[in-house]
Amino acid sequence: MSSFLTLFGKEVRALFQSPIAYIVIAVFLFLMGYSFTLTLFVNKYATLVHIFFQSAGLLLLIVPIITMRLFAEERKAGTLELLLTAPVRESHVVLSKYLASMTVVLTMIALTGAYAVVLGRFGSPEWGPIYSGYLGLALFASTLVSLGLMISALTANQVVAAILTIGVSFLLWTIDTLAAMMPDALERILISVSLLARFTPFVTGAMYTSDVAFFLSSTLLALFLAMRALARR
Amino acid sequence: MLAPVIVAESLTKYYGSRLAVDGISFQVQRNEVMGLLGPNGSGKSTILRILTGYLRPTSGTARIAGFDVVGQGLEARGQLGYVPEDVPLYTQMRVNEFLQFMGRLRGLTEASLPAAISEAIERLSLGRVRTLLIAKLSRGYRQRVAIAQALLGKPKLLVLDEPTNGLDPRQIIEVRELIRALSRDLSVLVTSHILAEIERVAHRAAILLDGKLLSVHTLSEAGNGTCIRVRVHGSNEAAIRVALQAAPDLRLVHSLPHETYIIESKQGAAPVVLALVHAGMEVVEVGNSGTGLEELFLRLTEGTSR
Repeated sequence: MSSFLTLFGKEVRALFQSPIAYIVIAVFLFLMGYSFTLTLFVNKYATLVHIFFQSAGLLLLIVPIITMRLFAEERKAGTLELLLTAPVRESHVVLSKYLASMTVVLTMIALTGAYAVVLGRFGSPEWGPIYSGYLGLALFASTLVSLGLMISALTANQVVAAILTIGVSFLLWTIDTLAAMMPDALERILISVSLLARFTPFVTGAMYTSDVAFFLSSTLLALFLAMRALARR
Repeated sequence: MLAPVIVAESLTKYYGSRLAVDGISFQVQRNEVMGLLGPNGSGKSTILRILTGYLRPTSGTARIAGFDVVGQGLEARGQLGYVPEDVPLYTQMRVNEFLQFMGRLRGLTEASLPAAISEAIERLSLGRVRTLLIAKLSRGYRQRVAIAQALLGKPKLLVLDEPTNGLDPRQIIEVRELIRALSRDLSVLVTSHILAEIERVAHRAAILLDGKLLSVHTLSEAGNGTCIRVRVHGSNEAAIRVALQAAPDLRLVHSLPHETYIIESKQGAAPVVLALVHAGMEVVEVGNSGTGLEELFLRLTEGTSR
């Protein structure tokens, strides 16, 4: 456990010592704040639905920037060799990087809680969809982070890791539109792995166990594959 | 006798279809410095990476202080300190911070960490740079920091991959002296493609070529003499053997081209010259050949051009 905490501490420091985390958080909050303010003044609805969808859309671009360096940078610098020849478990290495990245992403999402506070102060929002929307956003981010981490474990090139993660994430986000053109059996499968189809109910306040299970199991699968990628040396 | 620190048996590693290590077996004893010598691409680093748990062997087994590197990887890795080639370090960390990080990974408790770090810093003379960013350090200091982290937790084995690469002559001498000093407390496995480096620090040298272990040569064995290189005009191997028969302390080690021979002598060059001159031979060149490793290496790798 102590080696895990050591690794986690190092990962969090590395993320917050680099300017990337601050720039990413600042840009995310600026864009979300702009969108929130504009929508509030134009529509005058006390809702965060559009913020959740826009956040999810931005996370598709932002998470790969956070995760691209996780393993690719260590592999390129050779420090992965130092890390994996120390008496630490590969699972600890993978989990520490996952949790450190989630810390950044959840901090970013949590800071948008200010919008909910504003709505609560000046309006009468429906709180159910706001709570479920935040849960959905956190689960969605978890799948994206683990996917990015897995792809980063496969390459020594950060740019390749980022582009592949963006590509795969976008494909999974929009794959339900392709599903309509497919035979029934395939259509069901494609819809079941569509990130958009899984995320949408959370935003509208409808929480399904199957959607929660999907995001959790896809996270675990990607983390497991990242460990396998590390073990295949 | 204590159990060997490294026992490698039939280690084989394929990268795709390319055979990098071909059924290599060897042992390293306690407090022994073993050198792996071979040209670039001969499989030295791959062997180290298998022993340190970074790579998995395609077949064969390796044990570090009794722990299997695959089946008991965590325990095996806990017995060794490793300095990879190119000395990878977290350059955004300060020396102190990096040693604390590595010490914790090596299982040192918060109570034992400060003393262990102070000892490593003192041993590697890092006191002046302990608060500096690693990115600001010279190659020589980085090498020392890497060795310092490898020594945390008092490992039984220190594994060094090309430790003198990129160092200036003074730093090379320092690393050599350090390896010799460390061998009083632990075993050292060191690779180099520079023959003289291995010759100067190792007790034994394993010669590798194209992933195969060609020979294991003892460099400092009690009773061994020095090797003298002589060139004798108009001679042949049989005549040299006859000439040396009268001197029991002299032994023909290798016959080389151009009437050159390597003769082991317990008392230097003089008895060799005397014996040959006594036999009526014309000695045209005499030189010290050290441990004879160079000749052995050349003979074993004869016919291969790299």
